[in-house]
Amino acid sequence: MQTVKLFEGHSHEWIAFARDPEKPEKIIDTNQYMIKSEREAILLDPGGIELFASMLASVVHYLPVEQITHLFASHQDPDIISSLGLWDKTLPNATLHAPWLWEGFLRHYGCDHIIYDAIPDEGSTLKFDNVEIQFIPAHYMHASGNFSVYDPVAKILFSGDVGAGLNAPDDPMFVEDFNAHIPKIKKFHQRWMPSERAKEMWIKRVRRLDVEMLCPQHGSIYRGDDVGRFLDWLESIEVGSGLRL
Amino acid sequence: MAADIELRTTFFITAVAVAAKLSLVLKEAKNISLEAMNAKALVARAGENVRTFKPITDYMVELANDTIHLVEDINREALMISRSSLTALRGKDAVYHFNRAKEKSKDALYRESYEEAAKLAERDLREFQEKLHKNTQRLHTLLEEIETRMLAANVVTSTSRLEAATVSTIYRANFEAIVAKFEHAAKNIRTIVKDCRKVLNKR
Ligand SMILES: [Fe+2]
Ligand SMILES: [Fe+2]
Repeated sequence: MQTVKLFEGHSHEWIAFARDPEKPEKIIDTNQYMIKSEREAILLDPGGIELFASMLASVVHYLPVEQITHLFASHQDPDIISSLGLWDKTLPNATLHAPWLWEGFLRHYGCDHIIYDAIPDEGSTLKFDNVEIQFIPAHYMHASGNFSVYDPVAKILFSGDVGAGLNAPDDPMFVEDFNAHIPKIKKFHQRWMPSERAKEMWIKRVRRLDVEMLCPQHGSIYRGDDVGRFLDWLESIEVGSGLRL
Repeated sequence: MAADIELRTTFFITAVAVAAKLSLVLKEAKNISLEAMNAKALVARAGENVRTFKPITDYMVELANDTIHLVEDINREALMISRSSLTALRGKDAVYHFNRAKEKSKDALYRESYEEAAKLAERDLREFQEKLHKNTQRLHTLLEEIETRMLAANVVTSTSRLEAATVSTIYRANFEAIVAKFEHAAKNIRTIVKDCRKVLNKR
């Protein structure tokens, strides 16, 4: 599993985990993120059950596991959080922040000890140590209950499936040439994203934020001007292609 | 123990299969019960002539009721086995994932920080397996009990035959038919139970 430090500030740092070389061939590659403060940490979209061992083995390079006090699931998909039952055994005192809409569904993965903090539709903020992050509504992008995570200090937006690409396992961690990157993300957005209106609302919300890095759950990370390029591109394409058969 | 884990965790399908087979036992037990009722009616009609048949019919009813109750117990046990084998399967999965993480984090600074969680998962797995083992033993015992009942049925059949031979010729054919049906049902039950035990032992 590759790990990249995306941000290092006074109070906290961002680490990305991706491109697990031992991932079974037919499951989609995912990016996991950790925000680590001095005494605590949160895992953003901790990943599928198949990835649990690699993730656990990777995070213990950075901190003792009990320091992970929070988990976040942007939505209910298995690639996001089917590892929940195993994290539940590993971090019995942690809290999972996830859309209220999916509580009854996510609990199917096993959530006996972890506290489920249901994020309301309008979003919320989470403080731990000296870190404050925002859960920004991203409903219907693609899941009907879905959140992005914004860190105003690091100026990083974790965008879940938005910005995601169907990348090859050896693709770079960062977008290097946006135009060359388009073929990797086009189908994903056209087919997985269902609603034009949801898309416009999300873009509007994100444009109000100061984002230096947009981090999707699959594929490459957008930096600097590529963030704006991505938003413009997303605005220009038509989503919901499954309805046009 | 490792091989044992392998065997027990696929039990949830076997247990359901056994429960399904047992619905046939229930049918046969109900047949026995019906024949016993017929025999009772006949005894009542034949009066003094067939007095010795009465305890036999009572025993047939008892046998049928016992079997029906045993099947109910077995169904309950099979459901428990299904559940506990799934729990054990999940537990085994957790241990597997923790072991993989251990392999991968050999050089990690905080690799020991999840040791306790991994140990707990192992302990859970052992408990799940013990529970499953107990449930399975109990299922075997219940099946054995049905078999024992059916051996008793053999004795009843022989006695009934002898008794049938002594009753007045007007009733003899009727009694003999009842005994034959009873014997047939008991034999079917024995075959099904044997099948079930074979399925269980195969795992
Ligand atoms: Fe998804
Ligand atoms: Fe995804």
